[in-house]
Amino acid sequence: MATPLIGTSESIERIRELIDHVADTGLNVIITGESGVGKEVVAQNLYDKSPRKDKPFIKVNCAALPDGLLESELFGFERGAFTGADRKKRGKFELAHEGVIFLDEIGDMSLSLQSKLLHVLQSGEFAPLGSEKEVRSDAWVIAATNQELEQKVKKGLFREDLYYRLNTIKIFIPPLRNRPEDIPPLIDYYIEKYASQFDKKRIPKLEPDAMEKLMAYSWPGNVRELQNVLKGSMVIGDWKEIIDDLYFKSRSAAVTSSEESALEGASIVDVLLDFKGVYSSDQALFSLKKVTKKATDRIEKEVISFVLDKTGWNRTNASKILKISYKTILYKINDLNIKRHNE
Amino acid sequence: MNIKLNRMDQPLKFLIIDDDEHVLATLYDFLSDKKYDVISASDGLDGLKLLESDKQGFDLVITDLVMPQISGIGLISIIKKKFPDTPVIAITGWGEYPEAFATESQADKVLSKPFELSELDKAINKLISSKKHKV
Repeated sequence: MATPLIGTSESIERIRELIDHVADTGLNVIITGESGVGKEVVAQNLYDKSPRKDKPFIKVNCAALPDGLLESELFGFERGAFTGADRKKRGKFELAHEGVIFLDEIGDMSLSLQSKLLHVLQSGEFAPLGSEKEVRSDAWVIAATNQELEQKVKKGLFREDLYYRLNTIKIFIPPLRNRPEDIPPLIDYYIEKYASQFDKKRIPKLEPDAMEKLMAYSWPGNVRELQNVLKGSMVIGDWKEIIDDLYFKSRSAAVTSSEESALEGASIVDVLLDFKGVYSSDQALFSLKKVTKKATDRIEKEVISFVLDKTGWNRTNASKILKISYKTILYKINDLNIKRHNE
Repeated sequence: MNIKLNRMDQPLKFLIIDDDEHVLATLYDFLSDKKYDVISASDGLDGLKLLESDKQGFDLVITDLVMPQISGIGLISIIKKKFPDTPVIAITGWGEYPEAFATESQADKVLSKPFELSELDKAINKLISSKKHKV
Protein backbone atom coordinates (compact mmCIF):
# COMPACT_ATOMS: atom_id res chain seq x y z
CA MET A 1 0.00 0.00 0.00
CA ALA A 2 1.45 3.33 -1.06
CA THR A 3 1.92 6.22 1.33
CA PRO A 4 -1.21 8.32 0.89
CA LEU A 5 -0.90 11.77 -0.59
CA ILE A 6 -1.27 14.01 2.46
CA GLY A 7 -2.57 17.56 2.26
CA THR A 8 -5.63 19.74 2.09
CA SER A 9 -4.30 22.45 -0.22
CA GLU A 10 -6.02 23.06 -3.51
CA SER A 11 -3.02 21.78 -5.46
CA ILE A 12 -2.89 18.49 -3.56
CA GLU A 13 -6.67 18.04 -3.93
CA ARG A 14 -6.26 18.63 -7.63
CA ILE A 15 -3.43 16.08 -7.89
CA ARG A 16 -5.60 13.51 -6.08
CA GLU A 17 -8.38 14.17 -8.56
CA LEU A 18 -5.95 13.90 -11.46
CA ILE A 19 -4.61 10.57 -10.16
CA ASP A 20 -8.16 9.20 -9.93
CA HIS A 21 -8.86 10.20 -13.51
CA VAL A 22 -5.71 8.98 -15.20
CA ALA A 23 -4.57 5.95 -13.18
CA ASP A 24 -6.45 3.54 -15.43
CA THR A 25 -5.30 5.06 -18.72
CA GLY A 26 -1.71 3.79 -18.91
CA LEU A 27 -0.74 7.10 -20.55
CA ASN A 28 2.83 8.30 -20.01
CA VAL A 29 3.15 10.51 -16.97
CA ILE A 30 5.79 13.00 -15.93
CA ILE A 31 5.88 14.18 -12.34
CA THR A 32 7.78 17.38 -11.63
CA GLY A 33 8.64 19.35 -8.54
CA GLU A 34 11.53 20.21 -6.26
CA SER A 35 13.51 17.54 -4.41
CA GLY A 36 11.59 16.04 -1.53
CA VAL A 37 8.07 17.12 -2.54
CA GLY A 38 6.88 13.53 -2.89
CA LYS A 39 7.14 12.64 -6.58
CA GLU A 40 7.57 8.96 -5.80
CA VAL A 41 4.53 9.03 -3.53
CA VAL A 42 2.47 10.33 -6.46
CA ALA A 43 3.91 7.61 -8.73
CA GLN A 44 3.00 4.92 -6.20
CA ASN A 45 -0.50 6.32 -5.79
CA LEU A 46 -0.98 6.19 -9.55
CA TYR A 47 0.19 2.57 -9.52
CA ASP A 48 -1.99 1.67 -6.54
CA LYS A 49 -5.12 3.00 -8.23
CA SER A 50 -4.32 1.41 -11.58
CA PRO A 51 -5.33 -2.03 -12.83
CA ARG A 52 -1.58 -2.81 -12.72
CA LYS A 53 -1.35 -2.73 -8.95
CA ASP A 54 -0.71 -6.46 -8.60
CA LYS A 55 2.12 -6.33 -11.13
CA PRO A 56 5.64 -5.08 -10.45
CA PHE A 57 6.52 -1.47 -9.64
CA ILE A 58 10.13 -1.04 -10.70
CA LYS A 59 12.04 2.08 -9.78
CA VAL A 60 15.14 3.23 -11.63
CA ASN A 61 17.15 6.26 -10.58
CA CYS A 62 18.55 7.62 -13.83
CA ALA A 63 21.02 9.89 -12.04
CA ALA A 64 22.58 7.20 -9.87
CA LEU A 65 24.35 5.22 -12.58
CA PRO A 66 26.80 6.04 -15.37
CA ASP A 67 25.39 5.79 -18.87
CA GLY A 68 26.54 2.29 -19.81
CA LEU A 69 25.40 0.78 -16.54
CA LEU A 70 22.04 2.53 -16.74
CA GLU A 71 21.55 1.14 -20.21
CA SER A 72 22.18 -2.44 -19.10
CA GLU A 73 20.04 -1.81 -16.04
CA LEU A 74 17.11 -0.64 -18.17
CA PHE A 75 17.35 -3.03 -21.09
CA GLY A 76 19.41 -5.94 -19.76
CA PHE A 77 22.09 -7.87 -21.63
CA GLU A 78 22.82 -11.21 -23.19
CA ARG A 79 25.55 -13.52 -21.99
CA GLY A 80 28.84 -12.42 -23.56
CA ALA A 81 27.51 -8.97 -24.53
CA PHE A 82 30.63 -7.45 -23.00
CA THR A 83 33.61 -8.53 -20.91
CA GLY A 84 32.31 -9.75 -17.62
CA ALA A 85 28.77 -10.46 -18.85
CA ASP A 86 29.02 -14.11 -17.88
CA ARG A 87 25.29 -14.55 -17.69
CA LYS A 88 22.17 -13.04 -19.16
CA LYS A 89 20.53 -10.25 -17.21
CA ARG A 90 16.95 -9.09 -17.63
CA GLY A 91 16.46 -5.35 -17.81
CA LYS A 92 14.07 -3.29 -15.71
CA PHE A 93 11.79 -2.75 -18.69
CA GLU A 94 11.36 -6.50 -18.97
CA LEU A 95 10.83 -6.88 -15.23
CA ALA A 96 8.21 -4.12 -15.29
CA HIS A 97 6.19 -5.86 -18.02
CA GLU A 98 2.47 -5.23 -17.36
CA GLY A 99 3.47 -3.15 -14.34
CA VAL A 100 5.07 0.24 -13.85
CA ILE A 101 8.57 1.46 -14.53
CA PHE A 102 9.28 4.59 -12.50
CA LEU A 103 12.13 6.55 -14.09
CA ASP A 104 13.30 8.94 -11.42
CA GLU A 105 15.60 11.87 -12.31
CA ILE A 106 14.83 11.46 -16.01
CA GLY A 107 16.38 14.89 -16.68
CA ASP A 108 19.81 13.36 -16.07
CA MET A 109 19.48 10.73 -18.79
CA SER A 110 22.00 11.04 -21.64
CA LEU A 111 20.82 11.90 -25.15
CA SER A 112 21.78 8.47 -26.48
CA LEU A 113 19.73 6.70 -23.82
CA GLN A 114 16.89 9.14 -24.42
CA SER A 115 16.63 7.95 -28.01
CA LYS A 116 16.53 4.33 -26.83
CA LEU A 117 13.80 5.21 -24.37
CA LEU A 118 11.89 6.99 -27.11
CA HIS A 119 12.09 3.83 -29.21
CA VAL A 120 10.55 1.78 -26.38
CA LEU A 121 7.80 4.36 -25.90
CA GLN A 122 6.99 4.35 -29.60
CA SER A 123 7.17 0.64 -30.31
CA GLY A 124 6.88 -1.04 -26.90
CA GLU A 125 9.99 -3.01 -27.86
CA PHE A 126 13.68 -2.90 -27.06
CA ALA A 127 16.78 -4.99 -27.68
CA PRO A 128 18.91 -6.04 -24.70
CA LEU A 129 22.65 -5.36 -25.15
CA GLY A 130 24.26 -7.98 -27.34
CA SER A 131 20.91 -9.25 -28.58
CA GLU A 132 19.46 -8.97 -32.04
CA LYS A 133 16.00 -9.92 -30.91
CA GLU A 134 13.62 -7.26 -29.67
CA VAL A 135 11.79 -7.91 -26.43
CA ARG A 136 8.25 -6.63 -25.92
CA SER A 137 7.42 -4.71 -22.79
CA ASP A 138 4.07 -3.34 -21.80
CA ALA A 139 5.45 -1.24 -18.95
CA TRP A 140 3.62 1.89 -17.90
CA VAL A 141 6.21 4.66 -17.90
CA ILE A 142 6.01 7.17 -15.08
CA ALA A 143 8.95 9.57 -15.09
CA ALA A 144 9.97 12.20 -12.57
CA THR A 145 12.36 15.12 -12.48
CA ASN A 146 13.19 18.17 -10.42
CA GLN A 147 14.67 19.88 -13.48
CA GLU A 148 13.03 22.25 -15.94
CA LEU A 149 12.79 19.93 -18.92
CA GLU A 150 11.54 22.77 -21.17
CA GLN A 151 14.85 24.55 -20.55
CA LYS A 152 16.82 21.37 -21.24
CA VAL A 153 14.90 20.95 -24.50
CA LYS A 154 15.78 24.53 -25.51
CA LYS A 155 19.45 23.89 -24.75
CA GLY A 156 19.41 20.68 -26.77
CA LEU A 157 20.03 18.51 -23.71
CA PHE A 158 16.68 16.78 -23.78
CA ARG A 159 14.97 15.42 -26.88
CA GLU A 160 11.91 17.44 -27.78
CA ASP A 161 10.03 14.42 -29.15
CA LEU A 162 10.68 12.47 -25.94
CA TYR A 163 9.62 15.47 -23.89
CA TYR A 164 6.25 15.70 -25.62
CA ARG A 165 5.75 11.97 -25.43
CA LEU A 166 6.37 11.88 -21.69
CA ASN A 167 4.35 15.03 -21.16
CA THR A 168 1.03 13.36 -21.98
CA ILE A 169 0.04 13.70 -18.35
CA LYS A 170 1.99 16.22 -16.32
CA ILE A 171 1.72 16.36 -12.56
CA PHE A 172 3.45 19.29 -10.88
CA ILE A 173 3.81 19.14 -7.11
CA PRO A 174 4.36 22.63 -5.67
CA PRO A 175 7.02 23.14 -2.97
CA LEU A 176 5.84 22.93 0.63
CA ARG A 177 6.47 26.65 1.24
CA ASN A 178 3.72 27.42 -1.28
CA ARG A 179 1.17 25.27 0.54
CA PRO A 180 1.77 25.76 4.27
CA GLU A 181 -1.76 24.52 5.02
CA ASP A 182 -0.46 21.03 4.21
CA ILE A 183 2.12 21.15 7.00
CA PRO A 184 -0.21 20.36 9.97
CA PRO A 185 -1.79 17.29 8.32
CA LEU A 186 1.67 16.10 7.22
CA ILE A 187 2.97 16.48 10.77
CA ASP A 188 -0.01 14.57 12.18
CA TYR A 189 0.43 11.79 9.67
CA TYR A 190 4.16 11.30 10.19
CA ILE A 191 4.03 11.56 13.97
CA GLU A 192 1.47 8.78 13.96
CA LYS A 193 3.59 6.76 11.54
CA TYR A 194 6.89 7.21 13.35
CA ALA A 195 5.35 6.69 16.79
CA SER A 196 4.75 3.08 15.89
CA GLN A 197 8.24 2.76 14.40
CA PHE A 198 10.02 4.39 17.33
CA ASP A 199 8.70 2.15 20.07
CA LYS A 200 5.55 4.17 20.68
CA LYS A 201 7.69 7.02 21.93
CA ARG A 202 5.40 10.03 21.89
CA ILE A 203 6.48 13.59 21.72
CA PRO A 204 4.59 16.35 23.51
CA LYS A 205 1.74 17.90 21.59
CA LEU A 206 2.68 20.83 19.44
CA GLU A 207 1.61 24.16 20.87
CA PRO A 208 -0.13 26.50 18.40
CA ASP A 209 2.79 28.94 18.37
CA ALA A 210 5.23 26.13 17.63
CA MET A 211 3.02 24.95 14.76
CA GLU A 212 2.94 28.50 13.50
CA LYS A 213 6.72 28.56 13.42
CA LEU A 214 6.83 25.26 11.56
CA MET A 215 4.33 26.62 9.05
CA ALA A 216 6.32 29.81 8.58
CA TYR A 217 9.57 27.95 7.90
CA SER A 218 10.46 27.69 4.20
CA TRP A 219 11.25 23.93 4.11
CA PRO A 220 13.79 24.02 1.28
CA GLY A 221 14.02 20.22 1.50
CA ASN A 222 10.20 19.97 1.37
CA VAL A 223 8.37 16.94 2.78
CA ARG A 224 11.60 14.95 3.07
CA GLU A 225 13.08 17.63 5.31
CA LEU A 226 9.89 17.68 7.36
CA GLN A 227 10.15 13.90 7.76
CA ASN A 228 13.74 14.16 8.95
CA VAL A 229 12.86 16.91 11.38
CA LEU A 230 10.00 14.83 12.79
CA LYS A 231 12.18 11.73 13.11
CA GLY A 232 14.70 13.87 14.94
CA SER A 233 12.06 15.19 17.29
CA MET A 234 10.85 11.65 18.02
CA VAL A 235 14.36 10.70 19.08
CA ILE A 236 14.97 13.79 21.17
CA GLY A 237 11.39 13.73 22.45
CA ASP A 238 11.09 17.49 22.36
CA TRP A 239 10.00 20.16 19.90
CA LYS A 240 11.96 23.03 21.32
CA GLU A 241 15.34 21.95 20.07
CA ILE A 242 13.93 21.16 16.65
CA ILE A 243 12.33 24.54 16.29
CA ASP A 244 15.57 26.18 17.43
CA ASP A 245 17.33 24.25 14.74
CA LEU A 246 15.00 25.51 12.04
CA TYR A 247 15.24 29.01 13.46
CA PHE A 248 19.00 28.69 13.09
CA LYS A 249 18.72 27.37 9.56
CA SER A 250 16.43 30.10 8.26
CA ARG A 251 18.48 32.69 10.08
CA SER A 252 21.76 31.56 8.64
CA ALA A 253 20.15 31.36 5.20
CA ALA A 254 18.91 34.92 5.59
CA VAL A 255 22.31 36.04 6.85
CA THR A 256 24.11 34.41 3.93
CA SER A 257 21.76 35.95 1.41
CA SER A 258 22.24 39.41 2.84
CA GLU A 259 26.00 38.82 2.72
CA GLU A 260 26.42 39.52 6.38
CA SER A 261 28.37 36.35 6.82
CA ALA A 262 30.32 37.82 9.71
CA LEU A 263 27.18 37.43 11.79
CA GLU A 264 26.89 33.76 10.97
CA GLY A 265 29.35 32.79 13.69
CA ALA A 266 27.18 34.56 16.20
CA SER A 267 24.08 32.60 15.22
CA ILE A 268 25.95 29.29 15.50
CA VAL A 269 26.97 30.27 19.01
CA ASP A 270 23.37 31.22 19.76
CA VAL A 271 22.17 27.82 18.76
CA LEU A 272 24.91 25.76 20.31
CA LEU A 273 24.60 27.58 23.58
CA ASP A 274 20.83 27.84 23.30
CA PHE A 275 21.05 31.52 24.17
CA LYS A 276 18.39 32.84 21.86
CA GLY A 277 16.27 29.79 21.63
CA VAL A 278 12.79 29.21 22.97
CA TYR A 279 14.28 27.89 26.20
CA SER A 280 17.38 28.91 28.16
CA SER A 281 20.26 26.53 28.68
CA ASP A 282 21.14 25.02 31.97
CA GLN A 283 24.41 26.70 32.97
CA ALA A 284 25.45 23.79 35.11
CA LEU A 285 25.50 21.45 32.12
CA PHE A 286 27.49 23.86 30.01
CA SER A 287 31.09 23.20 29.04
CA LEU A 288 33.28 23.90 26.02
CA LYS A 289 33.80 20.18 25.57
CA LYS A 290 30.04 19.58 25.35
CA VAL A 291 29.51 22.42 22.92
CA THR A 292 32.37 21.22 20.74
CA LYS A 293 30.96 17.69 20.77
CA LYS A 294 27.54 18.98 19.81
CA ALA A 295 28.98 21.03 16.94
CA THR A 296 31.17 18.17 15.70
CA ASP A 297 28.29 15.69 15.85
CA ARG A 298 26.17 18.01 13.85
CA ILE A 299 28.73 18.52 11.12
CA GLU A 300 29.64 14.82 11.05
CA LYS A 301 26.01 13.88 10.71
CA GLU A 302 25.47 16.31 7.83
CA VAL A 303 28.60 15.21 5.98
CA ILE A 304 28.09 11.47 6.46
CA SER A 305 24.41 11.74 5.43
CA PHE A 306 25.40 13.68 2.35
CA VAL A 307 28.05 11.14 1.28
CA LEU A 308 25.73 8.19 2.02
CA ASP A 309 23.00 9.75 -0.08
CA LYS A 310 25.42 10.39 -2.93
CA THR A 311 26.63 6.78 -2.85
CA GLY A 312 23.10 5.38 -2.64
CA TRP A 313 23.88 4.27 0.93
CA ASN A 314 26.81 2.14 -0.13
CA ARG A 315 28.60 2.17 3.22
CA THR A 316 31.83 0.69 1.85
CA ASN A 317 32.15 3.43 -0.79
CA ALA A 318 31.11 6.12 1.66
CA SER A 319 33.72 5.03 4.20
CA LYS A 320 36.40 5.11 1.47
CA ILE A 321 35.39 8.64 0.44
CA LEU A 322 35.36 9.80 4.05
CA LYS A 323 38.65 7.98 4.74
CA ILE A 324 37.29 6.24 7.80
CA SER A 325 37.00 2.51 8.43
CA TYR A 326 33.90 0.54 7.59
CA LYS A 327 33.45 -0.17 11.27
CA THR A 328 33.61 3.54 12.10
CA ILE A 329 30.95 4.47 9.56
CA LEU A 330 28.60 1.81 10.94
CA TYR A 331 29.19 3.14 14.42
CA LYS A 332 28.59 6.75 13.31
CA ILE A 333 25.39 5.88 11.49
CA ASN A 334 24.07 4.33 14.64
CA ASP A 335 25.47 6.86 17.08
CA LEU A 336 24.37 9.94 15.14
CA ASN A 337 21.07 8.34 14.12
CA ILE A 338 21.66 8.84 10.43
CA LYS A 339 18.66 7.66 8.48
CA ARG A 340 18.21 6.90 4.84
CA HIS A 341 16.13 9.51 3.05
CA ASN A 342 13.02 7.86 1.78
CA GLU A 343 9.40 8.71 1.73
CA MET B 1 -25.08 21.08 -46.51
CA ASN B 2 -26.36 23.61 -44.03
CA ILE B 3 -25.48 22.87 -40.41
CA LYS B 4 -29.02 23.62 -39.27
CA LEU B 5 -30.31 20.62 -41.22
CA ASN B 6 -28.05 18.41 -39.18
CA ARG B 7 -29.68 19.22 -35.94
CA MET B 8 -32.32 17.06 -34.36
CA ASP B 9 -34.77 18.52 -31.86
CA GLN B 10 -31.98 19.51 -29.51
CA PRO B 11 -29.05 21.71 -30.48
CA LEU B 12 -25.77 19.84 -30.88
CA LYS B 13 -23.62 19.97 -27.78
CA PHE B 14 -19.94 20.82 -28.07
CA LEU B 15 -17.17 20.77 -25.50
CA ILE B 16 -14.29 23.18 -26.07
CA ILE B 17 -11.09 22.96 -24.04
CA ASP B 18 -8.24 25.46 -24.11
CA ASP B 19 -6.07 27.00 -21.39
CA ASP B 20 -5.91 30.24 -23.38
CA GLU B 21 -8.90 32.34 -22.27
CA HIS B 22 -8.82 34.42 -25.43
CA VAL B 23 -9.01 31.41 -27.74
CA LEU B 24 -11.71 29.88 -25.57
CA ALA B 25 -13.83 33.06 -25.71
CA THR B 26 -13.44 33.38 -29.47
CA LEU B 27 -14.45 29.77 -30.05
CA TYR B 28 -17.31 30.08 -27.60
CA ASP B 29 -18.74 33.15 -29.33
CA PHE B 30 -18.30 31.71 -32.79
CA LEU B 31 -19.96 28.39 -31.98
CA SER B 32 -22.75 29.92 -29.89
CA ASP B 33 -23.59 32.17 -32.83
CA LYS B 34 -23.96 29.03 -34.89
CA LYS B 35 -26.59 27.94 -32.34
CA TYR B 36 -24.60 25.11 -30.86
CA ASP B 37 -24.86 24.36 -27.18
CA VAL B 38 -21.29 25.14 -26.09
CA ILE B 39 -19.64 24.16 -22.83
CA SER B 40 -16.07 25.18 -22.12
CA ALA B 41 -13.26 24.00 -19.87
CA SER B 42 -9.90 25.61 -19.25
CA ASP B 43 -7.86 22.44 -18.90
CA GLY B 44 -7.83 18.75 -19.72
CA LEU B 45 -8.89 17.54 -16.28
CA ASP B 46 -11.94 19.80 -16.14
CA GLY B 47 -12.77 18.76 -19.69
CA LEU B 48 -12.54 15.10 -18.76
CA LYS B 49 -14.73 15.63 -15.70
CA LEU B 50 -17.39 17.26 -17.88
CA LEU B 51 -17.23 14.40 -20.35
CA GLU B 52 -17.62 11.84 -17.58
CA SER B 53 -20.42 13.60 -15.74
CA ASP B 54 -22.57 14.65 -18.69
CA LYS B 55 -25.26 12.02 -19.15
CA GLN B 56 -26.30 12.95 -22.68
CA GLY B 57 -22.75 13.15 -23.90
CA PHE B 58 -21.16 15.59 -26.31
CA ASP B 59 -21.55 15.60 -30.07
CA LEU B 60 -18.08 16.98 -30.64
CA VAL B 61 -14.97 17.97 -28.70
CA ILE B 62 -12.55 20.70 -29.72
CA THR B 63 -9.34 20.71 -27.71
CA ASP B 64 -6.04 22.50 -27.54
CA LEU B 65 -3.01 20.18 -27.43
CA VAL B 66 -0.47 21.79 -25.16
CA MET B 67 -2.14 22.17 -21.78
CA PRO B 68 -1.02 21.57 -18.21
CA GLN B 69 -1.92 18.37 -16.33
CA ILE B 70 -3.82 16.36 -18.93
CA SER B 71 -2.47 17.38 -22.33
CA GLY B 72 -4.66 17.38 -25.42
CA ILE B 73 -2.86 14.22 -26.54
CA GLY B 74 -3.75 12.49 -23.29
CA LEU B 75 -7.31 13.75 -23.42
CA ILE B 76 -7.84 12.55 -27.00
CA SER B 77 -6.52 9.08 -26.12
CA ILE B 78 -8.92 8.90 -23.18
CA ILE B 79 -11.88 10.16 -25.27
CA LYS B 80 -11.15 7.64 -28.03
CA LYS B 81 -11.16 4.83 -25.46
CA LYS B 82 -14.12 5.89 -23.33
CA PHE B 83 -16.25 7.77 -25.85
CA PRO B 84 -15.20 6.28 -29.19
CA ASP B 85 -18.12 7.83 -31.10
CA THR B 86 -17.30 11.41 -30.15
CA PRO B 87 -15.36 13.18 -32.90
CA VAL B 88 -12.43 15.33 -31.78
CA ILE B 89 -10.82 18.34 -33.40
CA ALA B 90 -7.37 19.22 -32.10
CA ILE B 91 -6.04 22.73 -32.40
CA THR B 92 -2.38 23.46 -32.00
CA GLY B 93 0.20 26.13 -32.48
CA TRP B 94 3.23 24.23 -31.37
CA GLY B 95 4.98 22.81 -34.41
CA GLU B 96 5.35 19.33 -35.73
CA TYR B 97 5.78 17.13 -32.67
CA PRO B 98 2.48 17.63 -30.91
CA GLU B 99 0.72 17.65 -34.24
CA ALA B 100 2.21 14.30 -35.21
CA PHE B 101 1.18 12.95 -31.81
CA ALA B 102 -2.32 14.31 -32.27
CA THR B 103 -2.67 12.30 -35.45
CA GLU B 104 -1.22 9.27 -33.69
CA SER B 105 -3.74 9.52 -30.88
CA GLN B 106 -6.51 9.60 -33.47
CA ALA B 107 -7.76 13.16 -33.45
CA ASP B 108 -10.26 13.31 -36.28
CA LYS B 109 -8.91 16.62 -37.49
CA VAL B 110 -5.90 18.73 -36.55
CA LEU B 111 -6.01 22.48 -37.14
CA SER B 112 -2.84 24.56 -36.74
CA LYS B 113 -3.12 28.02 -35.25
CA PRO B 114 -3.70 30.46 -36.75
CA PHE B 115 -6.65 29.11 -38.71
CA GLU B 116 -9.71 30.72 -40.23
CA LEU B 117 -12.94 30.14 -38.35
CA SER B 118 -14.45 29.08 -41.66
CA GLU B 119 -11.94 26.22 -41.74
CA LEU B 120 -13.14 25.12 -38.33
CA ASP B 121 -16.74 25.42 -39.48
CA LYS B 122 -15.99 23.20 -42.46
CA ALA B 123 -14.27 20.59 -40.29
CA ILE B 124 -17.21 20.58 -37.84
CA ASN B 125 -19.78 20.13 -40.60
CA LYS B 126 -17.82 17.27 -42.11
CA LEU B 127 -17.41 15.42 -38.82
CA ILE B 128 -21.01 15.93 -37.73
CA SER B 129 -22.44 14.72 -41.01
CA SER B 130 -20.21 11.64 -41.13
CA LYS B 131 -21.16 10.91 -37.52
CA LYS B 132 -24.81 11.12 -38.51
CA HIS B 133 -24.26 8.74 -41.37
CA LYS B 134 -22.66 6.22 -39.04
CA VAL B 135 -25.58 6.25 -36.60
